[in-house]
Amino acid sequence: MDTGVGRQKGEAVKNIADIDPLELARRRPEWSAAQPMTRQQKRAIVAIVLVIVVALIFAPLRTAQILIGFCTLFYVISTLYKFAVIRASLSPSAIMRFSPEEIASVEPREWPIYSILVPMYKEPETLKQMLNALIAMDYPADKKDVQFLLEEDDDLTLDAARTLTMPPGFRVTKIPPSFPRTKPKACNIGLYLAKGEYLVIYDAEDMPETDQLKKAVLAFEASPENVVCVQSRLNYYNPRQNVLTRWFTAEYSAWFDLQLPGLSAMRAVIPLGGTSNHFKIDVLRDLMGWDAYNVTEDCDLGVRLARAGYATRMLETTTWEEACSVLPFWIKQRTRWQKGYIQTWFVHMRRPWKLARELGFVNFLHYQLLIGGGPFSVLINPIFWAMALVWFLFRPEGVSHLFPGPIFAAGAGCLFLGNFVFIYINLLGCCKRKNDDLMWWALLTPIYWLMMSYSGWRALFQFFHDPFVWEKTQHGLVKGASE
Amino acid sequence: MLTGFVTPVVLAGVLLAFARLNDGAWEPGAQVAGICRELLAGTTQGRQALFGSCWTAPLPVLVYLPFAWLLSEPLAGWVAFFVAWLFAFWAVREAVKATGQSGWRIVLAQAAIAAMMIVARQPQALQFTTPLTMGLVLLTAASLADWAAFRRLRDVVAAGTAGAFLVLCGFPFFAPACVAVALIPLAACGDDESRRRVQAWFLLGCLPLLYMSGVWLLLNRLILGDALFFLRSLHVLVPNPARFSLAMLLPGAMMLPALFLTWLCDAQRAETGAGPHAASVILISFALMLVCTTEVLGRFGLGWDAPTLHVCFLSILMIVLARLRQPVYRLAVALALFVWLTTLWLGSAPAPVAVVPREQICREVEEYVNARTKYGRVFVLGYAGLDLLRNYTGERLVANMDLHVGSVRRAYKGQNLYVLVPCPEGPVRAESVFWKHPDIYRHGGDRLLFAGAFGTWHLFEIISAPTQEQLDEWKKAGEQ
Repeated sequence: MDTGVGRQKGEAVKNIADIDPLELARRRPEWSAAQPMTRQQKRAIVAIVLVIVVALIFAPLRTAQILIGFCTLFYVISTLYKFAVIRASLSPSAIMRFSPEEIASVEPREWPIYSILVPMYKEPETLKQMLNALIAMDYPADKKDVQFLLEEDDDLTLDAARTLTMPPGFRVTKIPPSFPRTKPKACNIGLYLAKGEYLVIYDAEDMPETDQLKKAVLAFEASPENVVCVQSRLNYYNPRQNVLTRWFTAEYSAWFDLQLPGLSAMRAVIPLGGTSNHFKIDVLRDLMGWDAYNVTEDCDLGVRLARAGYATRMLETTTWEEACSVLPFWIKQRTRWQKGYIQTWFVHMRRPWKLARELGFVNFLHYQLLIGGGPFSVLINPIFWAMALVWFLFRPEGVSHLFPGPIFAAGAGCLFLGNFVFIYINLLGCCKRKNDDLMWWALLTPIYWLMMSYSGWRALFQFFHDPFVWEKTQHGLVKGASE
Repeated sequence: MLTGFVTPVVLAGVLLAFARLNDGAWEPGAQVAGICRELLAGTTQGRQALFGSCWTAPLPVLVYLPFAWLLSEPLAGWVAFFVAWLFAFWAVREAVKATGQSGWRIVLAQAAIAAMMIVARQPQALQFTTPLTMGLVLLTAASLADWAAFRRLRDVVAAGTAGAFLVLCGFPFFAPACVAVALIPLAACGDDESRRRVQAWFLLGCLPLLYMSGVWLLLNRLILGDALFFLRSLHVLVPNPARFSLAMLLPGAMMLPALFLTWLCDAQRAETGAGPHAASVILISFALMLVCTTEVLGRFGLGWDAPTLHVCFLSILMIVLARLRQPVYRLAVALALFVWLTTLWLGSAPAPVAVVPREQICREVEEYVNARTKYGRVFVLGYAGLDLLRNYTGERLVANMDLHVGSVRRAYKGQNLYVLVPCPEGPVRAESVFWKHPDIYRHGGDRLLFAGAFGTWHLFEIISAPTQEQLDEWKKAGEQ
């Protein structure tokens, strides 16, 4: 991929007015979700829908069988893929590990300046907790370059920041109000004001492990030159707050402790987690930072890194976050994530051949299964669950006709084995995190999937109607988190 | 590359060539191809056959199904056989590799197992189900042993998953798989930290097997109307099912000393886990459990799968040898000696039994029925029937898994109906028709009149009053 070197390459700028947080969208519109779909993509979708409708009118049974066959094939491949990813996560190369002894052995040494961005919006309650966590980080104080990215009109958080005494190297960066009002836009401003060699983003409620920055530096130094991003593992500090946080923790454990390491071992494209991803700052500036229009800018950036020939590795260190504990907020958060994945898929599929050439064939398949397959499965799941339920309860002949011999066998396999594999992966994630009591709750994950499907359909609707709406996750709902 | 691809491919190719050259009548998918044919046709018979018997278990059918779908016979059988052996050799690699042994030891173990198959010349062991089952047995046993020895999470997952799939390989493996899986949480009890996490080991280790068993029960309930349908044959096959069940569980006692030893080693060792010696004891105990299971099944007259069980037993012992720390040349000599000894254990191949070809039976039955009526329908019973009809393309003969004379009469009103019954010998005794109608082969049954013998099969006509349409037609034919 032609990285189209950013205007402010290499060094920090001093004046916020000189920064264009929408540079990516302006200079490389084809990489940005500013235009959610191109005209060709819209035409292709309309054509596909028309073909399906016409086929359903003239040959309803055959068409339905083909559609179901396609979905079943997708399920089979997804299940096998998950299996392969989990198996790959056992590889020693899946995750980079540094013991406290290894860190101690390299000291004393000169550590590079590390920039830390903390975008916040109307989260005064988490500011103090975040400040304390950053102060507590085991990294030379004079090498920490911390920016709290606060919106100019966010008086609540700005007031809270004024009451705190910030150590040297810590500052508040005010983000001027402009459209779109998204986290990546704020991060882009922070990126160009950053002074460090490396950069990391933390969310307002994050509690990173204290030696994370040192581990990240060692990881970069131990990796080949093309490794420009290191993703830490994320997990929750409030897993037992209610059933939702239990399921959420099980899912996160499986994702960050098994699946992402598996993808890393397979040298696959990695959809970055929203926080605790560490970058080499000059490469990030070359890539013009994050796409301010993409609501999962992290996932998009992971794909752009891979397209540019860079690699991401997983690092064994955890950032503890707050699991969303209220269902409506969870739905909004999950809607945003699903919408962002849909955005990302459409952005990079504008020129599929080019994407395949840049990623390579295997990584192209990874991309389809991870970025496209995720939202696709949550959208089609309820349809297949409904059909299975109707068949079990009423045995209508119609449903049987939709599943000819091989499709029936494969579909039944996915229903009974595939779903179990997905639940089992969550169990494994809990076990790996030593959250043994959560494993019983993970057995009820199918209910959680229903909620995900609801969010998925909501995301699809939003993608067409409000593509840039950022439904913010409410934090600070767990008592005593700041302590 | 050498142990994970080159050697397995070469050895699987050698076994395929050996089987093709040495037995012209060799059919690797003999037991399952007929079921796959029905499944691909989307018939109820296929679904009933897939889940309806603990003796013809679902896993081999499900594994064979994609090959049957994509390829024609006999190519499907050959490819499935080849792939199944690749899996078995991969399992050998995983079982030996776990102890950190080098590539040549793995190659030697793989070659020794292939040599054993060639030297033993057991026709049943050359079915594609044997390597599939053997691979799962090796994975289950080795993972259980490694779990006890090293306390690695991956071994719990591997043992639990392989054990669950092993249950789907048929009744002879029910007890060994259940014992192995039940030992996963128990094996962790020798160590304080592991003991505290017993619920995690239980869920990860035992849940797959419980789930698979539950699905099998559920599908029996949904498809055959009886959750225990697949086990009902046991009531007929053994005179005292309670005693038989107890006897089947007894070989599990072979594992108890190994379990105690694991606890003892665990408690004494400074490192986590009981160590490699305990692993060897567990593997040997597991192998002995398989031999005892074979013995129990044989005593109750159900030793049909004895060759497969013996092959599994010997393979585990070879794995134990390969995992021991010793010079490669000594291992090579030991394995060669072992291969030679297996010929004594397995004995020589039984003389081939002359059987009437399937096509000939189908043709003769069809001719017989066509000679009597234009509206004839022959129900060929059970799994043996599915096998008989594998290459049959006509419409006169149809498979039937669950005979209900009244139902077929209602469904095929006005037709002349026949039932073709296989000879109740060996595994055919377990067919559902024989536990519903024990004397059907010799004496027929209510409304079943003997019509003729075709090979070892007996044809019976279902007697029913002619319908008005038939009477009219006969009348018309008489007038002409």
